[in-house]
Amino acid sequence: MEALGILSFIRNRWVVFLLIPLFISLPFLTPHHSLASEMLIFAIFAMGYDILFGYTGLLSFGHAIFFGAGAYTSGLILIKLQAPLFVGLLGGIFVSLMIALIIGFLSVRIKGIYFVMVTLAFCQMFYFIALKWSGLTGGDNGLHGVPRPSIGPIHLDSEIRLYYLVLMLFVLCLLLALRIVRSPFGRALQSLKSNEDRAKSIGFNTNHFKLISFLISAFFGALAGGLYALHLNFVPLETLNIMTSGDVVIMSIIGGIGTLYGPIFGAMLLVYLKNLLSAWTEQWNFIMGILFITSVLTLRRGILVEVKQRLFHKR
Amino acid sequence: MRGKIIVIGMICFLFLLGAPYAIAKDPVKVGVISVLSGPLAVVGKGEPDAIKMLIEGYGSLLGEKVELVIKDHAYSPGLAVERAKELYEKDKVDVIIGCPNSAAALGVSDQAAKNKKLFISTDAGTCDLIARNPYTIKWNYNDYMLTTTVGLWGAENLGKRWYTITSDYAWGHDLLKYFTAALKKKGGEHVGNDMVAVGTADYSPYILKAAKANPDVLVLLNVGKDAVNSTKAAVEYGLKKKAKIVHALLFEVDIKGAGVDIFEGDYTAASWNWVVPIPGTRKFADQFYERYGDRPIFMAAGGYSAALQYLEAVKRAGTKEQVPVIKALLNHTFKDIFANPGFVRAEDQLQLAKSYLLKVKKASEVKEKEDYFEIIGTVPAEEANPPLGFFGRKIGGF
Amino acid sequence: MDIQFIFIQLFNGLALGSFYILLSLGLTIIFGMLGVVNFAHGALYMLGAYCGYTLVQVCSGNFWMAVILSPLIVGFIGMVMESTLLRKLYDLPHFYNLLLTFGLMIFIEELIQIIYSPMGKPFNTPKELLGSIDLGFMLFPKYRLLILGVTTLLAIGIWFFLVKTKLGAIIRAGTDDSEMVDALGIDISKIFTLVFGMGAGLAGLAGVLAAPLQNIFPYMGMGILTETFVVVIIGGMGSIFGSILGGIIVGELITMGVIFWPPLANTLIYIFMAAVLLLRPRGLFGRVKFFE
Repeated sequence: MEALGILSFIRNRWVVFLLIPLFISLPFLTPHHSLASEMLIFAIFAMGYDILFGYTGLLSFGHAIFFGAGAYTSGLILIKLQAPLFVGLLGGIFVSLMIALIIGFLSVRIKGIYFVMVTLAFCQMFYFIALKWSGLTGGDNGLHGVPRPSIGPIHLDSEIRLYYLVLMLFVLCLLLALRIVRSPFGRALQSLKSNEDRAKSIGFNTNHFKLISFLISAFFGALAGGLYALHLNFVPLETLNIMTSGDVVIMSIIGGIGTLYGPIFGAMLLVYLKNLLSAWTEQWNFIMGILFITSVLTLRRGILVEVKQRLFHKR
Repeated sequence: MRGKIIVIGMICFLFLLGAPYAIAKDPVKVGVISVLSGPLAVVGKGEPDAIKMLIEGYGSLLGEKVELVIKDHAYSPGLAVERAKELYEKDKVDVIIGCPNSAAALGVSDQAAKNKKLFISTDAGTCDLIARNPYTIKWNYNDYMLTTTVGLWGAENLGKRWYTITSDYAWGHDLLKYFTAALKKKGGEHVGNDMVAVGTADYSPYILKAAKANPDVLVLLNVGKDAVNSTKAAVEYGLKKKAKIVHALLFEVDIKGAGVDIFEGDYTAASWNWVVPIPGTRKFADQFYERYGDRPIFMAAGGYSAALQYLEAVKRAGTKEQVPVIKALLNHTFKDIFANPGFVRAEDQLQLAKSYLLKVKKASEVKEKEDYFEIIGTVPAEEANPPLGFFGRKIGGF
Repeated sequence: MDIQFIFIQLFNGLALGSFYILLSLGLTIIFGMLGVVNFAHGALYMLGAYCGYTLVQVCSGNFWMAVILSPLIVGFIGMVMESTLLRKLYDLPHFYNLLLTFGLMIFIEELIQIIYSPMGKPFNTPKELLGSIDLGFMLFPKYRLLILGVTTLLAIGIWFFLVKTKLGAIIRAGTDDSEMVDALGIDISKIFTLVFGMGAGLAGLAGVLAAPLQNIFPYMGMGILTETFVVVIIGGMGSIFGSILGGIIVGELITMGVIFWPPLANTLIYIFMAAVLLLRPRGLFGRVKFFE
């Protein structure tokens, strides 16, 4: 009886059980180890972004702000204060959340397409500020020399060790994100997405919810940014670029918004392909463009959802 | 419906292609990072091509054929660091050469120190690469050299009143700093400066401001599209007739792109050009031309030289171990198609050679393809390059 | 800082503003009518420049031919884009089309890069328009006067078209309430295609006019796209008059910003844009309806 129970438990979640060894051995499957870290870093970024875009329905074209702010702040804390690793990451998250609070408060009141534009405008603003403030950010040269402090006795200079740290944080983030979207709060967000007026009429303070959702997505973005600074040992200016904002949108769409797993898959796929294709052809941007257009047009629900439909719901 | 299946199928197929492969024997491996996609690809192609040409003709080293791995960083500093990690970690190259874009080169330099493997920076201009760490050697040109060359020579030959238009980012700021210092040394007068954001299409307000200041020389501390746009505006508003124009960096590709007429009579500095009177250079340029259909630019020649000198250093050291090879490169005088002579200063790991003043020919004087420049002067290596200890940095031990 | 200098710069600001006017007019009528924020607008501008280049260099045409044909070609491309691709997503929330145009922007830029090479292409001011006219109190380049002239004529022409013609009336009606127009028996989908084509054509015209002034390269549309967004936001999405005024304001802000507050020049317009969005999101003349 006991055995059967366990077996059916595994059978129902066989996808998960298949994925666990995959994630554990990922650095050895990818062309080089550090690519695996990059894949998960952007997966964390995209996961948080999905909460804002997929679940709350707000398309932000400025999320690079939080990724970049997280990266720069963490980097600066680690370099200037020689602080421990988690202090650096938390510092990055804190500063990004402050920025998100201000920007979010001002922006979520704005409806529809104007929200997209205002996030775009803020993104450009932050980019230029970082470019000019080269004393702090290194300007166009970027912030170099970000160390990787050891956690206790564990040194992180090896790319593989860094990967396992990122993996651990990724799993924690995923559990957190799942908790959020499956909670009453999460359901409130979805109701807001499908019909904001109705949600308001029930008594939800929709701006309040939108702001919290915004902050949550900024949190994930900032953590991803901090990890990115550790990963590269440096922070390039392009982390604040509009194209970085665009990248996370593309990743989410291709993967399938509103599913959490979709953007994760989309992020990992896109980082992987970008690396793979650019070694083969100089026109990988073109290929990515076509992939994106195709996704928007045909796979409206994203690759992951389509695959799930096909494999699991054979009605 | 079918479309979706095809798309998903294609993606899975692409995934399968990315499997890692085994490593072969242990020959000397040279890694090259350049910009091979995006708007600057035209400028970046030459270097890997030249190095490929070199290695194919080199023969064997330490008993094996030298191997070459070329990577594209698409001018993105983040990607450059990724590529450097790939090259050092996975491909296990013994040296990385190249890397345009100062931010990218700084990142690669740090990776070189981390992996304790050599990086010879040939394309990026930032002086932060000089005396940065024991595993970085600065080859070819640097920002100090470019503007000091132009400043020193120009102050004596072109006029006393200078107006600068500077690209507003780290590179531009560095150029301005060194330029004004050089100008002052020769008693020139800096009558004004404008900082202009990179990518500005409309330079007319700045040109008009410059014209008002009535300079003898207009210095454009920018490159690429900015150089083209600013020069076009200077032509449009008649400033070109009143003042001479000097560029910090001017690529043949931009002259070709905008037309020689826009740039004729302009001055610039360079570490090398395919018409310099060094023995063997013309042959190299012809070889390159036959193979690739274009003349090599200074980045290609610099990379060629760095690669050649690296291989020779390995030969001299008798091993490809990092420390002996680096030691063999330092304090070494060499002669090749790029520098004749060239010298690698040990204290700050900087490669020195004399620099050239170039002038853009009139359209009617351009006799063959890519023949845009004539050499009109030189500045000795020690004068053009930063003096020892200029940056106050000391290289640590290995 | 003498008066003459300021006047020249003010005029320069107008000339720069003309490009913004042409671009934002196109963007605004597309948004007003179709509800689509056309991220590909910068790419269409770039196509206009490349059309001009191809017609002049490859087909040995002259500049005037290029100025007339390029907008028509780009307009046609726009109509094809709308009828084959954008149309498919009208039933979905507007941001899907925004994303589609974003993807199209990447696609078009990369395609041109493959066909024409990433290198810049030469395009020189036609001989007739080189040099300046002495306006008494200052010299002004002939070419920029042409741009001002063309833009003014076009602005008047569009106003005339929309206000005085029947088709214009239909378009205005469709902007207000497309379902109603449809219900009245007018084939609204054809109107949509036409409007997108018009917007694209305006972008193409701006591109071919800009070609002699700057280096033509595949990514030339990117910078000007975000600036055009600023114009449309300030002027108000969907408002013709707003586009014209917004274009002038932004053109002057950038040009004068260079003189008076150089370190802030770039950031200034984005601060302005954010301020407008926060204080009066519909811009100066935008319609409240487009709040949606």
